Amino acid sequence: MTNDVIKEAVAKQQSGDRKLVADNTILGKVMTFNIGEQVYGIEIQHVVEIIGMQRITKVPHVPDYIKGIINVRSKVVPVIDIRTRFGKPEIPVTSHTCIITLSFNETSVGIIVDNVANVEDIHSSDISATPENKNVNTNAFIQYMIRSDDNSEQTKLILDVAKLLDEQEA
Amino acid sequence: MAKIEPGMEAMLDMYFFETNSLLEQLDEILLRTEQANAFDSEDIKEIFRIMHTIKGSSAMMGFDNLSVLAHKAEDMFFVIRENPELVTDVSFVYDLVFQVSDSYKAQIEAIQNNVGGEYEQFNFDELIDKLLKAKDKLSGEAIGEAPAAEAAPAAAAPASSDKQKTSVRVFFEDGCQMENLRAFLLINTIREECSFLEYYPADVETNPETSKEIIEHGFLITFSAEDNQDYILKQIETALNVQSYEVLAAPTEAPAAEAPKAEIPPEPAKEAVQAAPENPAATPAPTESAIEKAQAAVANAAAQGGSQKQSLISVNLAKLDALNDIVGEIITTESMVISNPDLEGLELESFSKAARDLKKLTGELQDTVMSIRMVPLSGVFQKMNRIVRDMRKKLGKDVEFVMEGEDTEVDKSIVDSLQDPLMHLVRNCMDHGIEENVNDRTANGKPAKGTLKLTAQNSSGEVVITVSDDGAGIDPEKILAKARRQGVLTKPESEYTVKEIQNLILLPGFSTNEQVTEFSGRGVGMDVVKANVEKCNGTIVVDSKKGEGTTFTIKIPLTLAIIDGMEISVGDIVFTVPISTIRESFKVEPEQILRDTDGNEMIMLRGICYPILRMHEKFGIETEVTDLKEGILLLVETDNKSMCIFADKLIGEQQVVVKPFPKYLARYDIKGEGLSGCTIMGDGSISLIIDTNTLIG
Repeated sequence: MTNDVIKEAVAKQQSGDRKLVADNTILGKVMTFNIGEQVYGIEIQHVVEIIGMQRITKVPHVPDYIKGIINVRSKVVPVIDIRTRFGKPEIPVTSHTCIITLSFNETSVGIIVDNVANVEDIHSSDISATPENKNVNTNAFIQYMIRSDDNSEQTKLILDVAKLLDEQEA
Repeated sequence: MAKIEPGMEAMLDMYFFETNSLLEQLDEILLRTEQANAFDSEDIKEIFRIMHTIKGSSAMMGFDNLSVLAHKAEDMFFVIRENPELVTDVSFVYDLVFQVSDSYKAQIEAIQNNVGGEYEQFNFDELIDKLLKAKDKLSGEAIGEAPAAEAAPAAAAPASSDKQKTSVRVFFEDGCQMENLRAFLLINTIREECSFLEYYPADVETNPETSKEIIEHGFLITFSAEDNQDYILKQIETALNVQSYEVLAAPTEAPAAEAPKAEIPPEPAKEAVQAAPENPAATPAPTESAIEKAQAAVANAAAQGGSQKQSLISVNLAKLDALNDIVGEIITTESMVISNPDLEGLELESFSKAARDLKKLTGELQDTVMSIRMVPLSGVFQKMNRIVRDMRKKLGKDVEFVMEGEDTEVDKSIVDSLQDPLMHLVRNCMDHGIEENVNDRTANGKPAKGTLKLTAQNSSGEVVITVSDDGAGIDPEKILAKARRQGVLTKPESEYTVKEIQNLILLPGFSTNEQVTEFSGRGVGMDVVKANVEKCNGTIVVDSKKGEGTTFTIKIPLTLAIIDGMEISVGDIVFTVPISTIRESFKVEPEQILRDTDGNEMIMLRGICYPILRMHEKFGIETEVTDLKEGILLLVETDNKSMCIFADKLIGEQQVVVKPFPKYLARYDIKGEGLSGCTIMGDGSISLIIDTNTLIG
């Protein structure tokens, strides 16, 4: 999904134009996962696969949140701990802990998440822009939010994979 | 600007590959025959074939200027082919054909660098004009030297067309393949004996499609021979792979009984090969050698030519890389299955046997895949031969080019990255190395003819390539003076050894040549050579003696992909140290340890003091083994620098496939910290490969 489509959807939301909002199309799919209580999502086209937690080989002289490298079917993939990246405390590995491998512009990265939740559609009517300056640390990586209409579900924060992978030392 | 025809893009890669390899082949033939200063008929045919193929494929791709150029070159060779006795002074032909070959390469490069299908179209009019003149000159000589009747069969044909004609339908053996070429060779065999010769299909030489026609309906030859009609029929009968023939319209005076149908015994091939040498008396004297030659050529073509060319295919390198990856995966997965924890403690006799077989097979699979990527250096060496030839002419230096070990095989990616450095070195040797003035050589007691030698050899996992000349050598004084002027000296002049001074020329922007020439002297080059060689983990050194010559020695690992490594463990991390850099490993006693004023640990071995690097400290790894006497020390050495590294323990020796660090980690300076890459080990875990050079530095 392109940024333009999202911006357009967000703009429609903010304009409050009833007619436009009613135009509810499915823009794509996201894979959702949990980190602590918060639900995050990643657009499905960036997801390569989900693998169980495995032994990670540490690499010297890299930031804390890069846990090391793993072997995913003969490919060497670096692993980022999203928790540490977002400044949250580390928790022990559970049976739900897994690594989602992502691919963006031929860069592959695995991210450690508490557990994988679901794959769901993105409705254009549910998209909203991120609030400004709420949480500086994580906001940088949030592309947009998906809120649920009836508040039955938690708002999901959709990660900006490009920023997550390409950012220079933030 | 011209445009690549739409729809042809898909074919471009194939076209480039094919045309480039044909041009390489052409260069090779030219270089070989130029030395002998004579074309033999096989070479001429081969050149003709190359030009013909290039003409066809260029026309198909819509590169008209290339097609016309090849056509003109082909025309010229047509004259040479038809009049082989002319090849007395053809040096101008060589120059022309080399020009054609270069023009081709330039145009193809321009097409390869096309932007959105647009490329610059070169104008070859001048060259084509030259080719036409050369052709006229050659055919002028042809008419002058050879009487009209013998000149070309086509020309002679009308004059004798009223003679008696015989038509023969020839069938070749089932499944002998390439019927069209066999037919063509048959025609060549009998051509000289016939005053008139016509055949159908007429385009057998160039059109493989005619094979089908020949298989179905036979090959129709109509000829008219003076008195030796029987002899020609005999020739047809004994020719290689001819199954049977029938005479269709025999001349009236020929006895009918001779004609109808002659079955040939089933071993015609052997007979044909032996026939000529065994019964020379039976064949008329004047044609003897020609027939022998033709038959030998037929036998040769059947024996090697056809099958050899068919056994090669070209494969995209990306596919090989993919194959390599898959094989790596299989091997990793295999050891995961075989040493699966679930199997622990079980007595599995049959399983173990099957597992052993599997292991053996996957090992062979891996070796085979590795060997696919290995290609001989001969292609690169041939290109150097060509460069030497061109420069020899332009600089007017008499130089002999000697190649050794060109069949040495190295990984494809290395061959590609070697080409530029070698080219620079060869040019340098030609331009700066070999003396301008022959008297300078003879005065030093050297032969007037210079020698440029290119050698390659395998030695323990490395390929060693040397480029050497017997020229003036490097004058350390000159280098030092230049270095002084450029301010690149880093220590007092008196402390430089001769070797160090010589290696100064590898620094960027360093050239001692006073004049900038077409080939070298701009001061870029040697540092590029060094950078290129270092890119494939190689080293280059200069060795020169003033007045005696210069030798450049390049050492490059056989393949970038595999190294022999020693696995060592530090805490829970496994490192791989390239075995080539390990001198020895040993346990130490505390009393052997020395400390300098800063508290740095050192060890004295055989009178030499080596610093000790604790791996766990260097890489911040937690380990229980911190006492030097509990762990192990490895003495490693590169580029005459050495040190001891301290690890917990040795795990063992293993051949490992080097993988670069993931792209994501490129922004962190891991390489600068002494790690060159990583590798996946048999159990699926990852080991970090130590780059001894940066670790020490």
